[in-house]
Amino acid sequence: MAKLVLEGVSKTFKGKPLAAVYDLDLEVEDGEFLVVVGPSGCGKTTTLRMIAGFETPSQGVIRIDGKPMNSVLPKDRNLAMVFQSYALFPHMTVAKNLSFGMKARHEPKATISREIETIAGMLGIDSLLDRKPAELSGGERQRVALGRALLRRPQAFLLDEPLSNLDAALRVQMRLEIKRIHKQFPVTTVYVTHDQVEAMTMADRIALMSGGRLQQAAAPERIYDSPANTFVATFIGTPKINLLSGSVVSDGGACHVTFLGCTYSLDSAASKALHRFAGSSVTVGFRPEEVRLAPGGGGRLPTAQGTVELVEPLGSETNVVARFDEQVIVFKVPARSGLSVGDSIRVEFEPSQMKLFDPDSGASLDLGSAHSEPQLSPIRV
Amino acid sequence: MVTIAAGTQRRGRRQPEEGQALILAATRRVTRQRVLLSAIHSVIGLAFLLPMLWVIDAAFSVHASPLLTRPSFTLVNFRSALSLGAGRAIGNSLYLAVVSTVIATAVSVLAAYALSRQRVPLKGTLLVGTLVLSGLPITLLLIPIYIMYVHLNWLNSPFYTSLALAASSVPFAIWLLKNFIDQVPKEFEEAAAIEGSGGMRILWRVIVPLATPGILVAAIITFINSWGAFLLPLVLDANPANTPASIGIYDNILANSQVSYGPLAAYAILFSVPVIVLYLISTRWLHGGFSFAGGVKG
Repeated sequence: MAKLVLEGVSKTFKGKPLAAVYDLDLEVEDGEFLVVVGPSGCGKTTTLRMIAGFETPSQGVIRIDGKPMNSVLPKDRNLAMVFQSYALFPHMTVAKNLSFGMKARHEPKATISREIETIAGMLGIDSLLDRKPAELSGGERQRVALGRALLRRPQAFLLDEPLSNLDAALRVQMRLEIKRIHKQFPVTTVYVTHDQVEAMTMADRIALMSGGRLQQAAAPERIYDSPANTFVATFIGTPKINLLSGSVVSDGGACHVTFLGCTYSLDSAASKALHRFAGSSVTVGFRPEEVRLAPGGGGRLPTAQGTVELVEPLGSETNVVARFDEQVIVFKVPARSGLSVGDSIRVEFEPSQMKLFDPDSGASLDLGSAHSEPQLSPIRV
Repeated sequence: MVTIAAGTQRRGRRQPEEGQALILAATRRVTRQRVLLSAIHSVIGLAFLLPMLWVIDAAFSVHASPLLTRPSFTLVNFRSALSLGAGRAIGNSLYLAVVSTVIATAVSVLAAYALSRQRVPLKGTLLVGTLVLSGLPITLLLIPIYIMYVHLNWLNSPFYTSLALAASSVPFAIWLLKNFIDQVPKEFEEAAAIEGSGGMRILWRVIVPLATPGILVAAIITFINSWGAFLLPLVLDANPANTPASIGIYDNILANSQVSYGPLAAYAILFSVPVIVLYLISTRWLHGGFSFAGGVKG
C-alpha cells in the first residue's frame, strides 16, 4: 500500500526525436485505482514501465512513499505487474508459475502452498494448478496472471492492458472481477488501457494521455462533464461529443455565442471570461445526449434545422446522424422514434451543458467556477 | 498447365484432342525430368553410401580388403580392434568430448545471454568477428596454444586438452546461442524480475529452460567437434594412455606399413557408436519443438 508520485517525468528513446513521455506530473493516492488511458503511442505503457523500473526516466523522479525509485531495480520495488500478454512461464505448471515469486523471495514452503490455495480458490483456478499455460483459455491465463500478481502482496499493482486479449463478454466479466478484487485488496493500482469504457467504469481517477503528455487527471464524472480540452472531450464518451464551430459576439458588456443559427447569451461572469473572444470564433461542444429533437410546436430554446443521414438503432435508444449545413451532429433519440434517412428535423441544445473550447488550442474555456455550470439564458434567433 | 490451357483458349476454339495432346506431352516432359533427377540423386546417394557399406562389410568380414567382399560374418575384427586399445581410446574420447562440451556450453550460455540482453559497445562488430573467428582453421592456433601450454605446464593433461577443445568451439556456440536467446521474449525476464527474482535465478529457471533446444544444438555441435578432434589432442597430449580414439585409429592401424582393413573398419564402427547413440537421444529431446506456447498471448 503506497502513494506513488511522478514528478516531471520525461522519457526520450535513443534515435527518436519526440519524447515518449513529456513532463509528467502524476500522483496516485494510497489504495487508489488510477486508470491511465489514451490512444496507441500516447506514452501510457512507457509510463507504466518506468514505474515498474524496466525503463529509466530521462528526467524527473518517481517516488513510492516519498522514496525516490529511479535507481532501484524492478525486483526491489515490491510491485506486481500483469502484462498484456500475461507472460506466464510456458514451461512451468500453473502452480509453479504462482509460486515462482514466493520461491524467489525464499518464503517457507508451508506459506507458499497455503497462499496458493487461498488465491487459487478465490480466482477459481484451483482445478488448473497442474496444467501448463498452453492448456488454458485466455480468461484462465489472465486469472493466473492476476493470481501471481496478488501473491506478490505488493505495494502497488501495475496492469498493462490486461483485458485487451479477451473477447467482449469475458472482458465485461473480468472488469467486474478486477474491481471486486480491488475492493477486497485495496492496493494502489495503476491500470493502463486504450479502452475508454474500461477507464470510465473502473477508475477512481482517470489520467488521460496523448502524445506523451498528460491531458487531464480527474474522476470519471469530472472528465466527462468538464473536459480540459477537445481531445479529452472527444476521447471519452460514446458516441463522440459534437464539436461545432461557433462565434462570440459582444453586445456591450454581455456576450452571445452563436452556432448553427442558435444564439445563447452568457451571464456576466461567463461574458467577462469570454470577452477576449469577442468577434472571433469558438468551438462549441455538446454530447449526443445533450442534443434532442425540438418539441412539435417549438419550445423556448432556439433550434437548428437539418436532415437525417443515418439512423442507428441500438435497441434501448437510437443514434441519429444528421447534417446541419456543413456540420454533422450525432444525437440520441428514444428507441422507436420513427425517424428515417432524409427526414427533415429540428433539434435544440441543452444550454446548461454547453462546453466551449478555444478553436486553435482546443483548451476548454473556463466559463465559471470549477464546479458550477454557466448560467445561460437562451434567446430566440 | 495453366499456360497451356490459356494458350488454347486465346487462339480460339481448337479441337479438344489437340489440347489433350499438349497436356500429355507436358506430362511426359515432367515425368522425364523427374526420372532424370531421381537418377542423379541415386548416384550421389550411392557415392555417399558406398563407403559406409564398405565399412560395415569390412568390419564383419574375414577377408577385409579395400574392395567390397562377399559378405561373411565374424567378430574377429572387433576383438582385434579392442586388443589394440580401442576401448580405452574411446573412453578417452568420451572424457575429452564430455568435459569440453560441458565447459563450452556453460561459458557460451553466459556469454550469449549477456550479448543478447545487455548493451555492449560495438556489439555488432563483436558478433561478426566472433563468427568469422570461429571459421579459423585450428592449424593456425596450434603452435600458439602449444607454446602457451608449455609455459603453463598444462601439457599431457586430458582436462586441459578439453579446455583447449572447448575454447575452439565457444565462438560458434556463442553465435548460435545468442540468436536462440534473442528469440525468448523479454517479457518473461521482466515478469520474473518484478517477482523479485535475481539475475542468475532468471537465467537458470527461465532462460535456460526456454532456450533448451538451442543449448542442445550447441552442445551437440561441440561434442561432435571434440569427438573427432585430432590435431589438438595430438599436439597437447603426448601420453599414450590419454590418446583419444581419433588418434588411436591412426596410431594403431593406419600408421602401420600393412593396413589391416578389418580391424580398421571395426575400430571405426566402435568409434561411431557413441555419436549414433547421442543422435538417437537428442532427436527425442529436440522433438519437443521450439515454441513458447501459452506463455505469450495466443
